[in-house]
Amino acid sequence: MSNTAVMENQKPVRRASGRVPWLDWMVMPTLAVLALVVGYPVVYTLMLSVQDYNLLDIVPGGYVGAGNYSSLFSDPVFWTALYNTAVYTFGSVFVSALLGLIFALLLDNLAGPQFRAVRALLLVPWAVPFVVVAFLFRYMYMQNGGIVNEMLLWSGLIDHPVPWLNNAALAMPAVMVANIWAMAPFFFLLLSAALSGIPNEVIESARVDRARTWSMIWHIKLPFLRNPLIVSSLLMIIANFNDFAKIWAMTQGGPGFSTTTLVVYVYRLAFENFEFGYASATGVIWLLLLLVFAVAYVRALRMN
Amino acid sequence: MSNEETFPSSAALGASSSRTDAWQRSGKVVQMAAIGFALVWSLAPVYWMLSTSLKTELEATRLDPTLWPHEPTLANYIGLGGGTLPFVSFFFNTVVSCFLTALIAVVVATPAAYALSRAQFRLRTSIGYTVLIVRMLPMIVLLAPLYLLLLNAQLLDSLSGLVVGFTTFGLPFAVWMMKSFIDAVPIEVEEAARVDGYPRWQVLLRVVVPLVFPGILTTGTFVFMEAWNNLIYPLTFITSLDKQTLPAALVLTFTGQFKTDWGGMMAAATITTLPLMIAFFAVQRSMVRGLTSGAVAGA
Repeated sequence: MSNTAVMENQKPVRRASGRVPWLDWMVMPTLAVLALVVGYPVVYTLMLSVQDYNLLDIVPGGYVGAGNYSSLFSDPVFWTALYNTAVYTFGSVFVSALLGLIFALLLDNLAGPQFRAVRALLLVPWAVPFVVVAFLFRYMYMQNGGIVNEMLLWSGLIDHPVPWLNNAALAMPAVMVANIWAMAPFFFLLLSAALSGIPNEVIESARVDRARTWSMIWHIKLPFLRNPLIVSSLLMIIANFNDFAKIWAMTQGGPGFSTTTLVVYVYRLAFENFEFGYASATGVIWLLLLLVFAVAYVRALRMN
Repeated sequence: MSNEETFPSSAALGASSSRTDAWQRSGKVVQMAAIGFALVWSLAPVYWMLSTSLKTELEATRLDPTLWPHEPTLANYIGLGGGTLPFVSFFFNTVVSCFLTALIAVVVATPAAYALSRAQFRLRTSIGYTVLIVRMLPMIVLLAPLYLLLLNAQLLDSLSGLVVGFTTFGLPFAVWMMKSFIDAVPIEVEEAARVDGYPRWQVLLRVVVPLVFPGILTTGTFVFMEAWNNLIYPLTFITSLDKQTLPAALVLTFTGQFKTDWGGMMAAATITTLPLMIAFFAVQRSMVRGLTSGAVAGA
């Protein structure tokens, strides 16, 4: 209290010393580093994207203008990769968000040490490194002796082992299940936090109105969760758009191109064929797509 | 905080009370069953990894998998120490490169975060959002130019090159995370110190830094975790196996060493997971802050 009183008296001092020019310059080291490790590569990518640049060529090819872009649009693998990216991203994010939401609501009412432990245990999958998630599921998906097939056979849901990752139709859903397993805890954690942030008076007054569990969820809790849900979904859409480790370590984009997303495609172009020019053009298209989500995200964040 | 059993209104309703009680009791059963299912879904794969890592090679590849190891053995873990693969180096490389990245990120980011949080220059907001968008750029887009950059700087196939790569996502992340910690420090604390006559830089070092130190540790841990998780940079920038990080080593050696040795693979996976798990639970409480500030966009 007395402290605040002092502050009131000192107001003029506070104002006078408010502006210290060198404070502004403290952002410079960060900007300098980012300019070098991010700014420069982005500009370089734009330049590469209009060149025929293959690392293996002795004489690098020259400027080809929109050449890379036009061949990109007639490249069926590009369209497949774009489609796969959309399926992988939106499918995984939607299901994870739904699972996270359901479990956050289910555990919302439960207090006490045992439920704190449950909450912590539900976060475990998120702490598993992506590469480990990939190998773990690869092991569980094995056709012969894999635990997934074993359990499905045992429960009678299938009558012969399924080659989950070697079947073009099943590989994508199988990879998505692994991804959802790893990502759902993120939504669970964030939505739980949002739920516990609902002011008690709101809950109390709703209870006085004898709101039943369902209407409480529908009319009180879900509206409160809308913004956190939008923000976290956008965040995970961006993250999944960029996801490489899980897909690469599980299927390397196969079989065929069935799990080839844009990241995997660019990686292959650049580091297996060394087609840096073409890969960069693909990267630029993708950068533009991503910017749409990044801008949406920043706007959603501002609104909060 | 709120409550199902304290939903007392129904008891007071008289006539419909017993029906409502029964409805609520069955609701409770469904709720518990769902929670049980969630636990199994979350933990079973991790249990499977641990259990397999303790199995003999023969047992790990059985056509009828055993739920728990019949002859538990540490052979897989011991094998990692003295096997044909330099696992100790993988571990060491990962720890060193991730730690260096975390250190550089917090040292460079903290002043920037302070300026973005407290100073009043014109471009403050724009710079803040630019950093946030940089954070979201797909690493793969930076990959080819970074590769050429490191090639020219003779940093390919070195831990320093790896640290440069990790900085692309670690630094912008740290800026936003630190900003949220600094925003939380009441400005009155700093003003009080200034009133006492301390120059601004001393206020920073003696008042602000100690106050946000837990935030610095948390941010560093986060950057460390993300670098630990990264696969694409080590895979592209490191060419000799003994300089490789754990995640990339798992991918690269799978076709050779671990082709059939799932027990060994799962032991290696467990070792890769453990440090991340420990770090994760150490910062779990402050995680939500990072999530909501927009810093975590996991790449």
